[in-house]
Order: sequence, then structure tokens, then C-alpha cells
Amino acid sequence: MRNFWLLTKREWSERVMNRTFLWMLFIGPLVCLLMLSFLFKAGDEGKNSINVLIVDPAELMDHRVMAQAEHEVHYFFIDDYLEIEEFRDGSQYEKFDAMVEINEKILINKKAFVFYRATPSMDVKMQLKFQMERRIEELVVESFTNLSIDHFRRIKQPLIMDFRNVYDPKNESSDLESWVGFVFGGLIFLFIGIFGMTILRSTAKEKSNRIVEVLLSAVKPRQLMLGKMTGIALAALFQLAIWSVLIGCGLWILRQTIFPDMMNPANWQGIQMAADVQNQVVMAQEGLSNNPVLDLVYARIDYVWMSVHFVFFFVAAYYFYGAFFSMIGAMTGTESDGQQFVMPILLLLGFSILSGYMYIHYPDSTFAAWISYLPFTAPMVVMIQLAQGVPIESYYLIWIHWLIIVLSAVLMLQVAGKLYKNGILQFGHRLRLSQFWRYFKS
Amino acid sequence: MLEINNLCKSFQRKIALDEVSLTVGKGEIYGLLGPNGAGKTTLIRIINQILEADRGTIRMNGQLMTQSQLANIGYLPEERGLYKNMQVEEQLIFLAQLRGLTKKEAQRNVSHWLSKFGIQDWRSKRVESLSKGMAQKVQFIAALVHDPQLLVLDEPLSGFDPVNVELILSEMKELKESGKTIILSTHNMQSVDEICDRASLIHEAKKLAEDTVWNLREQHNQGEYMVRFKGNMIGFVNALWTDFELLRHEEIGDNRFLAKLKMRGASQMNDLINALVGKVEIELIEKKLPSMQEVFIDIIRGKEEAHA
Repeated sequence: MRNFWLLTKREWSERVMNRTFLWMLFIGPLVCLLMLSFLFKAGDEGKNSINVLIVDPAELMDHRVMAQAEHEVHYFFIDDYLEIEEFRDGSQYEKFDAMVEINEKILINKKAFVFYRATPSMDVKMQLKFQMERRIEELVVESFTNLSIDHFRRIKQPLIMDFRNVYDPKNESSDLESWVGFVFGGLIFLFIGIFGMTILRSTAKEKSNRIVEVLLSAVKPRQLMLGKMTGIALAALFQLAIWSVLIGCGLWILRQTIFPDMMNPANWQGIQMAADVQNQVVMAQEGLSNNPVLDLVYARIDYVWMSVHFVFFFVAAYYFYGAFFSMIGAMTGTESDGQQFVMPILLLLGFSILSGYMYIHYPDSTFAAWISYLPFTAPMVVMIQLAQGVPIESYYLIWIHWLIIVLSAVLMLQVAGKLYKNGILQFGHRLRLSQFWRYFKS
Repeated sequence: MLEINNLCKSFQRKIALDEVSLTVGKGEIYGLLGPNGAGKTTLIRIINQILEADRGTIRMNGQLMTQSQLANIGYLPEERGLYKNMQVEEQLIFLAQLRGLTKKEAQRNVSHWLSKFGIQDWRSKRVESLSKGMAQKVQFIAALVHDPQLLVLDEPLSGFDPVNVELILSEMKELKESGKTIILSTHNMQSVDEICDRASLIHEAKKLAEDTVWNLREQHNQGEYMVRFKGNMIGFVNALWTDFELLRHEEIGDNRFLAKLKMRGASQMNDLINALVGKVEIELIEKKLPSMQEVFIDIIRGKEEAHA
């Protein structure tokens, strides 16, 4: 046990006391924060203003679109026909970002074409649609009913079809939360991929510089393998912990400094619109009615709950997959050998990420049931389940999944230990598939 | 100190060791000889518990060898290896700790050996910045830093210049004097002649010979003598008559010669002296024993001829 910890400590020091690793400790979170800031900004495109030219030869709109029009969309009118080419190429139309074509049948078919120069943001699209719809609504009420517009709006109730799972009648979980789980699961597999390759390279390097023979004269092959894997796992967890702290601090600073206005619900455009019109359709589309990225990052993720489970599932999955990487590293003839044998493992990692995507879309399928028990894919599925919220009565299932991964990891470590022992002192050969069976048998 | 009994090891169909038995006494320097691929490294790896034997036993100080006894063994493998990006001292302390020393003990021993080999100034250098010879010294220190009872050295002299070969040889003699046991696997037969007490020869997985170095050389004695004399060469040849065969001679000075003779029949050195006295002025007569290199070649050739 003492030697195991010595090996672990050495491996940990080698990773952590490395200049690149130390740089990445800070560069990684910085890049993450920059990306998040970019996403926050992207999710807050509502402040972009565009000029819209409404081509209304029938003069239906009466040069009016919503009396309390939002500032982000500026409307201009033309009471004549305008061809797209003319709009596109005419210098007098350059200042307009989009053209809305209103034909005389719009009150019947409720259809209008919007021709834009650059794709408008989702918020602008929503605003434009909403404001145009409001104006058309006024015209429809005026032309076909005797009601006042306020009265019409009071009685107008669109049919809302709210699809809910029988096991989640309060709709506590949502797709957005599933994607949070997906991101956590993805992180597990990303780190396994990165640090799995570190295991492979480090094992192959020890083998090629022949230090392994000196080490094996003092420790058992399995101890050496586990010591290395544990040292690298600790380095990975250390990196994750530092990243989490730095990203957490960074998010807090962003919230306090750069994006305080976004955090104020009063500034959320969708809320203003919703409060203004009480349109339940818009209300139902929450993701579009405020900044979804901000909402997700600051309000929806239960970081403690997710992080605790993340560590347990990461460690179990790391040892499970790490056994494969160790095995291949020990069996390679040269440092560069074995790359091709890593491909199936990387494909498995990719499949696991894909399985998370499939699980979100088809959670009740047979496939979903299978992948939640397969040790290859279970970490991803479980992270999604945890993010969606697990009822207390079925919470034990999460730990059954974990136990399956742990038992599979133990089994794989046994197999890998055997192959490691038989392969680590073989030098200069070219790795072949048949060797796996030969080393396993001997 | 070490008893190896009927050790067998094979890798798939290739037999690496076939019923090899040998005994290494305490305080001995034991030469393990054999051509490449004979099975020496396999034997050494089994002693170090790196490989498991298919059959046979190894006892150290009367007890079956286990992992716990590895702390009493120092091992220098033929293929040298160190962590290239670790500092010399840090690396030696790590390896000493793996062999059971506490950090303090390891630091003390490392300091001692670095000073002894005159490389204390290199303690903070990374291994990758060392010359090959310097790295070899570090590895040699790594094998004995934990003060083992038994040292297993596989080609310890390869890669060293003559000055450092001398240094290592004298260090091995010193270790022997302090009661350490050394198993030395080498192709450097001169060193075997010089420092080994006993040796065994392994060829094609089998042990072909085992004895003291002197006895092995004696056993392969061809009855050859070197004679240095002053006088007439014709008179010398006439004096030999039919009991001795002159193999070669050379004039080394004015009427002084060096001749190599081979005995015929049951002739002894006294017969030679009697034959020469009064004929030439004898300056030196020396029994010419074969070197270990010649013994080695003789045994291997004998084995191959027997096969043919």
C-alpha cells in the first residue's frame, strides 16, 4: 500500500508540477468564461436594433405597428409594390435590414414574407412577429367583428397543449435541465478521453525508457498500474476542482460586473412583453422569453448535487475506461504504437456521448433502458437523470448504476492487470490483436 | 544466501529456463555467464520477482522468496532506465523509498552515495541533462542506495569508460568486503576473471557449468606453460625433447626468449624444470590457465559439437 501511494504521489507530482498543466489550470477556466460570456451575449441579442421596411401597397397597416413599439425594431412604410431585387440592390433601401411584404389577403391567410439581409436574432424575430401579429389582430377585429380590441384580447385564449410526463405531472424536469446533465456527462467523458490518453502515453513512455523494469523489481505490476491511474485521476480531479472554483468565481464576477443588467428580470425583454400583453403562448416559450443561457447557468443548475454525483461517477468510469488505456499502453512495442488500438475506445466514448443525446430524446425507449445499465454509457445517462431530478423512491437506482460501473471497473482492472503484467516487459514488437488473447491466456 | 532449485520458465513454446539450479553464498561475487538469449535475464527477472517461474523455487536466507524480500535486493537491469524529467536526487529518493526506506533514510543514503561517486553537484540536475556515463552512475547508485544484502547487476560495466569501469569494479570489491552478495551478469570476461569468486554458465536455457572461477579455469587447463629464459633457442628446443610441444616463441631481448609450451602425456611442471635446468637460464615459468573467455568459448563449442 505504501508503494502504491508513492507511485500515486510521483505520478500526481509529474502531472501537477508540469508548467503546461499549471498554465492550463488558469487558461482553461478563462477560455470557459470567455465562451460563457459569448453565449450570454449571444443569448441577449434583443438589444440589437433593426430597421424594417413594411411594403404595404394595400395600405392595410395604416403606417402603424403597435402603438407601444419596442425600440429594437424600427418600422418604416411604403405604400407601393417593391420587388425583392429592387430592395436588395437599390441604394435608397440600404438602411433597411429587412422587408416585410404585406399582401391584401393577409387578414385571411395570415401570412407575410420577411426578407432580411442578415439573419436577425431570435429575439428580434419574436418581437417582429409579435408586433406584426398584434397589428393584424387589430385589423381583423376591426374588419370582422363588432368587438373592441381590448375586449377581444380579454376573451382571446389560445389553446395550449402542454405535454407532460405522467411521472412528472408538475413538469419539474425539462429539456433544458436534461442538457445540463448532458454537459456534466460530456465532461466526464471529455476528461476520461484526455486523461485516458495521459495514462496510455505515460505507460508507454515508462516502458520505452525502461524505468519500468526497475520499478517492477520493487512493486507488483498491478500496483504500478493502479498507482499510475490513481495519480492521474487525482491530477484530473485537482484540475476539475480548480476549474470549478475559478469558473465559479468568474461567473460571480461576471454577474456582479459585466452582466448585472441581464440579471435583472426587469430588463428581460420577454418578461416586458409578457407583462405587456399577457400572451400565454409567449409565456409558455420561456426559453425564448428571456436569456436561456443566463437562466441555465445562474438559476437552473444545482451545482452541489451535480458535483457530488459527478465525482463518484467520474471516478468509477475513469477506472473502467482507464483499464483499457493502461492495457494498451503496457502492450505497445513503441511509444507511438497502439494509437490505432485507442480508436475503438475513443469511439466508445463518442458513442456514450451520443447515447446521452438519444436518451434525452427517447427517454422511455428500450434503448434508453439498456444504456442506463451499460457501464460504457451509464455515467452519461445517470448525469442526465440526476439533472432532470430523480424521485426519492427511485434514487437507489442511481447507486445501482454506480455499483454496476464499479464492478465492471474491478473486472476490467483484473483483465487489464493480467495483460499489463504480461505485456509491460515486451519490447520492440508491433502490437497485434492476437497478442491480447495470448497475453490474457498466459 | 540464495538457492535456486530446478527453475523452469517458458514463454509460449520457447523454453527460457530448463531446470536451472544454482547456489550463491553470502559475501560472494557470483558470475552469471552465457551468450545472448541464453536465459540469464529471465533468471534475473525471476530472482527479482518481475517474472514468475513455471516451476522451481528460490530461497533467500533459507526462506522462500516473496515480495517482501525485495527490499533486500538491489537490481541494475541491462536496459537502463530513469525518469528523464526528474531530478537526480528526487529520483534516487523515490526509488529508495519504493525499496522500503523512509524519506530521511533515503535522503541520507542518497547524499552518501552521491558524494562517494563525486556527483553531488548533479543532485538537482534533471536526468535528461546528464551524460550517458553519469546516468549510468546514477543507476548504479539506485541499485544499492537502500543498502541491500544482495545485488543483482546485469551488465553493470557496459557504457562506462575504462576509468569508471575501474571505479565500479573497486566499488563491487568494497561491497563484497562489507559482506554484500553480488550476482554479476556480464559479457566482460576480464571482470569475471578479476572479481568473481564463482560463476555459472547458462546456454540454451540450461546450466552447463558452475564452480569457482579458479576451478573452471583449471578444469579447462590445456597444460600450457609460459617460459622466459636466457640462452640458446636451439638448446632450449633440444631440451624439450618429446615430452613438450613448443607452440610459439618470440625473442624479447638479447638472447632472451619467451616461449609457450604444451605438456604431452603425463608431464608435470617439475619435469619441465628438470629438462631445462643446465640448458638455459630460466627466468620465469608460469602455468598458463585459460581465461574465462576461453573457458566460456570452450564450453559453448563443446556443447555445440556434442549436439552436432
